[in-house]
Amino acid sequence: MNIVVAIKHIPSIADDLPVKGNNVDFDSVDFVLNEFDEQSIEQAVLVKEAVGGTVTVVGVDMIGELDAVLHLALAKGADKAVKITGDDPAADSHQQAKWLAEAIKGMSADIVFAGVQASNDLDGQIGPMIAAHLDMPYIGGVSSVEVAGDSAMVNKEFAGGVGAKYSVSLPMVVGVQAASKPPRYAPISKVRQVAQTATIEKIAPSGEAGAGLTFKKMAPPVVTGHAEMFTGSSKEVAAKIVELLKSKGLA
Amino acid sequence: MLTTIERIAFIVLALTSAGFAIHGIKTIVDSVRKGRSAPELKNIPASLIKAGIMVLFQQTIFKARKILSTIHLGLFFGLITYAFVNLVDILEGFIPGFDLVYGGKHLTFPFLPSGIINAFNLIADVMSGALLFSITVFLVRRFIVKDKRLTYRENVLLNPKVKAGGQNKDSLVVGVFVILHVAARLLGQAFRLTDGADPFMPIASFLNGIFGASQTGVHVAWWISLCWVLYILPYITRSKHTHFTVGPINLGLAKQNPRGQLDPAVPAGEKIDPGAKFIHDLSWKRVLDSYACVQCNRCQDVCPANFAEGASLSPSALEVNKRYLIKEATFGSHPERLLLPLTETVISPEAVWACTTCHACVSVCPVGNEPMADIIDIRRRMIVDGAELDSGVQNALQSLATNGNWMSKGKRLRGRWAKEMEIPVKNATEEPVENLWFVGDTASFDERVVPNTKMVARIFQQAGFDFGIMYQNESNAGNDVRRVGEEGLFEQLVEQNIAAMGKAQFKQIVTTDPHSFNTLKNEYPQFGGKFDVKHYTSVLVKLFEEGKLTVKNPLSGYKVTFHDPCYLGRYNGGFTAPRKLLELMGVEFNEMPRNCENSFCCGAGGGQIWMGKVAPGERPAENRIKEALTTFEKNPSDKKQLFIVTCPKDMIMYSDAVKTTGNEGKIEVRDLIQLIAEAVGLEAPIISLETEAVAS
Amino acid sequence: MSNDIFVITEHMDEKFSDVSFEMVGKAKELASALGGQAVAVALGSGLSANGFASDSTIYVDGANLAQFNPEAYGKVIEALVKEKSPRLVMFGWTATGMDLAAWLSARLGKPCAAYVKNIGADLTMTCQIYGGKMSADVSPDGDMAIAAVLAGSFPVEAGQGSTAATQIESPVALDGLKIKFVEAIKPAAGDVDITAQTKLVSIGRGIGSKDNVELAEELAKKLGATVSSSRPVVDAGWMPRTRQVGKSGLKVKPKLYLMLGISGAPEHLEGMKGAELIIAINTDKKAPIFNVAHYGSTADLFEVAEAMLELL
Ligand SMILES: Cc1cc2nc3c(=O)[nH]c(=O)nc-3n(C[C@H](O)[C@H](O)[C@H](O)COP(=O)(O)OP(=O)(O)OC[C@H]3O[C@@H](n4cnc5c(N)ncnc54)[C@H](O)[C@@H]3O)c2cc1C
Ligand SMILES: Cc1cc2nc3c(=O)[nH]c(=O)nc-3n(C[C@H](O)[C@H](O)[C@H](O)COP(=O)(O)OP(=O)(O)OC[C@H]3O[C@@H](n4cnc5c(N)ncnc54)[C@H](O)[C@@H]3O)c2cc1C
Ligand code: SF4
Ligand code: SF4
Repeated sequence: MNIVVAIKHIPSIADDLPVKGNNVDFDSVDFVLNEFDEQSIEQAVLVKEAVGGTVTVVGVDMIGELDAVLHLALAKGADKAVKITGDDPAADSHQQAKWLAEAIKGMSADIVFAGVQASNDLDGQIGPMIAAHLDMPYIGGVSSVEVAGDSAMVNKEFAGGVGAKYSVSLPMVVGVQAASKPPRYAPISKVRQVAQTATIEKIAPSGEAGAGLTFKKMAPPVVTGHAEMFTGSSKEVAAKIVELLKSKGLA
Repeated sequence: MLTTIERIAFIVLALTSAGFAIHGIKTIVDSVRKGRSAPELKNIPASLIKAGIMVLFQQTIFKARKILSTIHLGLFFGLITYAFVNLVDILEGFIPGFDLVYGGKHLTFPFLPSGIINAFNLIADVMSGALLFSITVFLVRRFIVKDKRLTYRENVLLNPKVKAGGQNKDSLVVGVFVILHVAARLLGQAFRLTDGADPFMPIASFLNGIFGASQTGVHVAWWISLCWVLYILPYITRSKHTHFTVGPINLGLAKQNPRGQLDPAVPAGEKIDPGAKFIHDLSWKRVLDSYACVQCNRCQDVCPANFAEGASLSPSALEVNKRYLIKEATFGSHPERLLLPLTETVISPEAVWACTTCHACVSVCPVGNEPMADIIDIRRRMIVDGAELDSGVQNALQSLATNGNWMSKGKRLRGRWAKEMEIPVKNATEEPVENLWFVGDTASFDERVVPNTKMVARIFQQAGFDFGIMYQNESNAGNDVRRVGEEGLFEQLVEQNIAAMGKAQFKQIVTTDPHSFNTLKNEYPQFGGKFDVKHYTSVLVKLFEEGKLTVKNPLSGYKVTFHDPCYLGRYNGGFTAPRKLLELMGVEFNEMPRNCENSFCCGAGGGQIWMGKVAPGERPAENRIKEALTTFEKNPSDKKQLFIVTCPKDMIMYSDAVKTTGNEGKIEVRDLIQLIAEAVGLEAPIISLETEAVAS
Repeated sequence: MSNDIFVITEHMDEKFSDVSFEMVGKAKELASALGGQAVAVALGSGLSANGFASDSTIYVDGANLAQFNPEAYGKVIEALVKEKSPRLVMFGWTATGMDLAAWLSARLGKPCAAYVKNIGADLTMTCQIYGGKMSADVSPDGDMAIAAVLAGSFPVEAGQGSTAATQIESPVALDGLKIKFVEAIKPAAGDVDITAQTKLVSIGRGIGSKDNVELAEELAKKLGATVSSSRPVVDAGWMPRTRQVGKSGLKVKPKLYLMLGISGAPEHLEGMKGAELIIAINTDKKAPIFNVAHYGSTADLFEVAEAMLELL
């Protein structure tokens, strides 16, 4: 079973996001692995553990720092790592999906995993677009995948615990919302070992696609209302909250 | 004495025996050399001589089991004597007229004064008796009394041969050898006494009185005695009795680095896999350990993880299993077993994760073995191989990797306790300080321990001791992370801390946590972090000596005992400072039987405090509280009974154990600092001295 | 080319979801500005789709469309869009729309904007990206665009009406589908129903570990409240799925929603915006939740929770 995981390296939203012109100032942000990709890597490894095969992780190297992410994926159980030397921090989802699809074409993938979304998917997510390029069926919002023979049983989530089970004939693209088990801890011993021994295959980007969106403005959202902030020590804050709740008959 | 045919026969047999023995030795050497490299040893001849002297005086074996060790003296010196005796016997056989009885009066060429000959005869005679006596005691102990300490708990993984009593067979062979060999030799000597009793050979003379003299007897006895030697020499290379020779050698080659410094996970210049999956992934010294092992189970006796009925860990079983595994592969017909993971052949995965890394097994071992080092190496490999970890350990490691602490607390919160102090605590990464206080996770975050942390700060402030902390820049020091086997994370933490310390200006580091103390002092230098590191107990002693702290309220109303934390005591020899402080406080001090070097681990170290699953049965900390109470009972009074600790983890473990053993009210756990605060009388701004530090 | 605005509606248990009406309302506004029609598109089997205020409603009926099937839905929508060439195709940025919008964009080579919060008359789309920390205004190039709209962005009422749907057969053959619907998964029963609670203490990833959940539970107990959570807390296995609030969890409207360590990602907001009193404790002063909460504090959640426990 050839399992491919397409990942996205995205600006971290843990800290402030500085703006430069009409976009994020990519020079002054940290890049991290999309949180849903962490789930999709886990799901891919779980599938491999269940039915055998190899897991290949592929991503676009946005700022030349993808190696660390790929090493982590290898430490978690992926077998091969491939980076597309994009080196364009502003490459949008359309462009990334095209490059990824071209790269995956040569991998005879039986199943392709992607994170269900990323916080910078302004022009849509890469998963469904890769599926469109590869002419494979796509299901997103998936919270478990079981492969048997040449088909997969996937659970898709809607809302409020409601979901649906689908059977899909492979190959397919899956947009993972949550792996069927919480992602495993990748021992740093392993990550460091992998960093010394693993070879990361480099692929030149091929194919062009654009989002077709013209940026007019990017800024932190204009706030119409802001919470009234309680200040002071934690004890004072707690006292104010309790007082408020009592005044409203809620405590 | 011997006929020509006898001589030829003996030489042929001796050469055959030597051939087998050499093959045995070569097999051992080959096997040991297959191990990976170990840290370089300096000045090996001197260490070997030192070890030889230690062995001669039987120092290491007297660390435990005093009576048996005394009886073992008979075996030890008896066998050494017999090495000479056997040589002399061969000479007697081969040189006509070489006869030492009666002070050598039959000697055709008297080459020694008869006094020396008589002395030799007397020693040989008496030591024969001593040997027979002590071997009998040991055989009785093993086969009739069936000393429990020579057996293993049910859940301990054992090589099938060991389970089937392989060690007993081994002991029996050697026991029978000693008895028959010595008895034959004694009888032979008795048969030589043609002129009646020899006062320098009392036992032989006694036997001569019964059996008389006999030339045939001399021949038969000689052959029996020496054939046994020819049989036993090669046998020894294939049995647990290699410890006769490998033991002292192993002791001479024992670790020279500090106890608190683990060997690197990947040996210098070796392939890149850290730790050990198969036996020859272990360093050659760990392989040698298995040949040195006396299989005495002293290590098992002191192991806190072997303490409960259902325990799965036994450090001695580990060594014994290693030995049988190698033996099956080299002398037996199962070389393929060397390619089975150690977790299937020598120690169960459950046992691997039970070790508290307390070092007791290493400290007690008479031949310098380090079972603990094997366990950590096995953990190291299990971790990179992605073995399933206990969920608690996994959470702790995850949090350590992201937050720098195991308690899933935000980095920023590390200095929160300090911000609540009335007198500000300096940030050492922002202004120079004399002393950098490395606080550690438990003391920074655990609400049961934080009051003590503040108390240390207050006392430092009162003594005018200039200190600062690194606030959010401090990360867990990594002592237990390394011992859990997560070497990569350990390195990451070390890098973070060394970077933070690089930003700080200080003269020395002070720690309140023995675990941090150990790794900062002994292991950070391996990574370029060379600092002067002190535990706060020795700092406080100095402050008292300099008069910066004085006892205003002597605490004679307290009756206390003290628990030596493994990483301060056994690892780093910090026995005196805490006792000195207790003496200064004026408390009534009662020493528990297991103290200092023999202190009994609380059970928290080596990552055990993170484990989600706890082994059933009485826990080590509970046993320790009972030990303290028994100690107090010997000295009854109505003073308040305190169990004093100096390690934040101990505070948690023992407070809990007091509750679970239902001894609240009888004994109270306190940190040494609480006593000191009370004795020196804290000046304003005062902080509560209530013992809320004890788990509520 | 037309100036029509297509709205791909969604339904569950024969009931159209709010986001469908929200989009239809907006589509009408845009269509009248552009001089086109607002067309609601519904896919299903044996469904009545006569409740929209659209200028027209196309209802595609087919056995294979009874349940959501991204492949079947995608094929039908692609065929319809190719045939009618609308100016804009609106999807909900929902569990269903998320499977289709970007896919369609790549299939047709037409621009797509996601996380859409608002659409101007010139089709400038305001998108809330980076977990709500950034707002981007973009305008699609060319003559056709796709928008995936966040639920709750527009009023529901404007889309409600009585336009009679025109029922058609699927414009494409739907045999040989690779995706087959197997069965519906119902919510796990047995746990408390958080949608029925008047007070919720809701915890996010800031709670740090499973052990700390206990603290929230103690606080909830003192307040007579129930603990709910954000999705990552559920994914980590610290809370049962029945307690998840948000897009893929439950929509709640309690009198009190006390949030501990939740950042306020749009997916979470979808589930709790309607709460009467929202108080958020979050150490990140720029956390988007403070734009929605009524009261907030950047204090540490553990300290506040412990202090509250003492006061209650
Ligand atoms: C078997 C199955 C088949 C499906 N088939 C289709 C289909 O054919 N076509 C289609 O368009 N969609 C289909 N869906 C998906 C479903 O109808 C909605 O698209 C999905 O529920 C929207 O989820 P959301 O998180 O995006 O919610 P939103 O789109 O954000 O909104 C859901 C709306 O429903 C209300 N709501 C939801 N749950 C509750 C609750 N527990 N209590 C109170 N109010 C609630 C809310 O008020 C909200 O307005 C199907 C789902 C399943 C399980
Ligand atoms: C299709 C889809 C559906 C989704 N559905 C849902 C859903 O139904 N519900 C949902 O919640 N999410 C949902 N998500 C996930 C959503 O995108 C966010 O990932 C999630 O809401 C973030 O949860 P969080 O706020 O707990 O975590 P984070 O975003 O990580 O925020 C944690 C916050 O805690 C704060 N914090 C940390 N420590 C402390 C402290 N000690 N004191 C105070 N504050 C602290 C931090 O500043 C941070 O703001 C969905 C995502 C997708 C793609
Ligand atoms: S280090 Fe301690 S716990 Fe580990 S095996 Fe040795 S004695 Fe037992
Ligand atoms: S390792 Fe040491 S203490 Fe343990 S059984 Fe062997 S010789 Fe005895």
